Amino acid sequence: MASFTVLRLKSTDLELIENQLRAKTSQLPSLFLDAPVLIDVAPLADEVAALPLSDLARLVRACQMIPVAVAHLPDGLRPAAVEAGMGIWRGPIQARVRAGAEPASIPSIPSISSVPPIPSHETTPAPQLSAAHGGPVVVTTPVRGGQVIHAHNNDLVVLAPVNPGAQVIADGHLHVYAPMRGRGVAGAKGLPGARIFCQKLEAELLAISGAYVMADEIPPAMRGRAVQVYLENGECRLQPL
Amino acid sequence: MDSVSSTKEATVSNASKVVVVTSGKGGVGKTTTSANIATGIALQGKKVVAIDFDVGLRNLDLVMGCERRVVYDFVNVIRNEAKLNQALIRDKRVETLYVLPASQTRDKDALDAEGVGRVINELKEQGFDYIICDSPAGIEKGAQMAMYFADEAIVVTNPEVSSVRDSDRVLGLLAAKTSRAETNSAAIRTHLLLTRYSPAMVKKGEMLSVGDVLELLGIPLLGVIPESKAVLQSSNKGTPAILDETTDVAQAYLDVVFRYLGEERQHRFIEDQKRGFFGRLFG
Repeated sequence: MASFTVLRLKSTDLELIENQLRAKTSQLPSLFLDAPVLIDVAPLADEVAALPLSDLARLVRACQMIPVAVAHLPDGLRPAAVEAGMGIWRGPIQARVRAGAEPASIPSIPSISSVPPIPSHETTPAPQLSAAHGGPVVVTTPVRGGQVIHAHNNDLVVLAPVNPGAQVIADGHLHVYAPMRGRGVAGAKGLPGARIFCQKLEAELLAISGAYVMADEIPPAMRGRAVQVYLENGECRLQPL
Repeated sequence: MDSVSSTKEATVSNASKVVVVTSGKGGVGKTTTSANIATGIALQGKKVVAIDFDVGLRNLDLVMGCERRVVYDFVNVIRNEAKLNQALIRDKRVETLYVLPASQTRDKDALDAEGVGRVINELKEQGFDYIICDSPAGIEKGAQMAMYFADEAIVVTNPEVSSVRDSDRVLGLLAAKTSRAETNSAAIRTHLLLTRYSPAMVKKGEMLSVGDVLELLGIPLLGVIPESKAVLQSSNKGTPAILDETTDVAQAYLDVVFRYLGEERQHRFIEDQKRGFFGRLFG
């Protein structure tokens, strides 16, 4: 089983795509770094003929992601995709679009959404997931600025301060029993039921399964308190503990 | 008598300590601190060498007033172009103090772990008690080489947000990208040295307090050096400030040296008035 990041194109304007892609990835660079990307051109319909596939592939690589394959591509464009180093995706895409990711009122934008696990036997470069939940990862030393700790397929329990500029990422729940001053992610591979628990919330950013709140959006009343964060209607909700 | 002294010498050389003076941010006082601590420890009779890792810039020899006696440098020794003893400069004021200057004509790529390790080992064999590595600013190769072989680190920080953040970053590297970290040995002992501190500005809320800095960095405080003109004057003269005991900077660095060598000394220069700062700090 593997999960993919899907880049769903609604425009052939490379500049627009690049701007939005960079804006998106800059929010959580470590999540998107070297991520395999599936490009879905379905929304483009006939416009797809105007899409410069090799330039697009170069653009995605420039954003430090790996374009793996194109989905819903007309047969006539297949050689161009292969030429650009991408495969042709014929499997199903059960997109679970995160709420708010695609504002209906603004057409013609590319959007990124997480796709739930799909059978991996048809694809090659997929993120390596170990089969079982191996129990939580426990960190007992301070997580300093610039450090990234990712608990793959696991909960992450941090018993020391997470400082500004540090990132702590869990595919399951994230617990920080000390001041949380950095960036925290729970459900990093798309698990909407994941939660974040902080003993002292001073975070720069908190994200669950793709939805996030930035420092500016955290109500002052929550700052410095013990708080849990969970998803409700696709948005992060903060609640004092 | 003979056997006693030789035993002592053996113990000393086994216990030689590699200390990196680092910070991340530039201009916070790494070189000043390296010069003063090296001089201060040497004044206690220990054999000390200060190595300038700022290859390409060369500052330490100026601050220590030996720039006119530089013939060979650290990079020459690493590249086997000179013997260690040809590059080591003995201080004219303190007998047991030496400087290993940086090269001004090379860049940081001239440093490699193998060569740096060889030089440090040779210094240990020569019986140096303390090997003080003056790190360049930043977190690139020069800084990483300076910290790689360290047993202890003195993290120099100004009471200012960006400096504190950079120090935090460097503490992360000390815990991950050093020989001790890579061989799973005991972690590097880290000490915080807060420099350019002005209690009056802290009082007015214009500067981070000692408490603010300690809260974020969470490592033991080695000392606080007050902001002072004496630092600039002593750098320009090439005489480490610690040699003129009348200044507050010298007093502060002397405290740091004695504290570092294991003596208990109360912290000074934290408040305008000398009253119960401990109460305010930890109370």
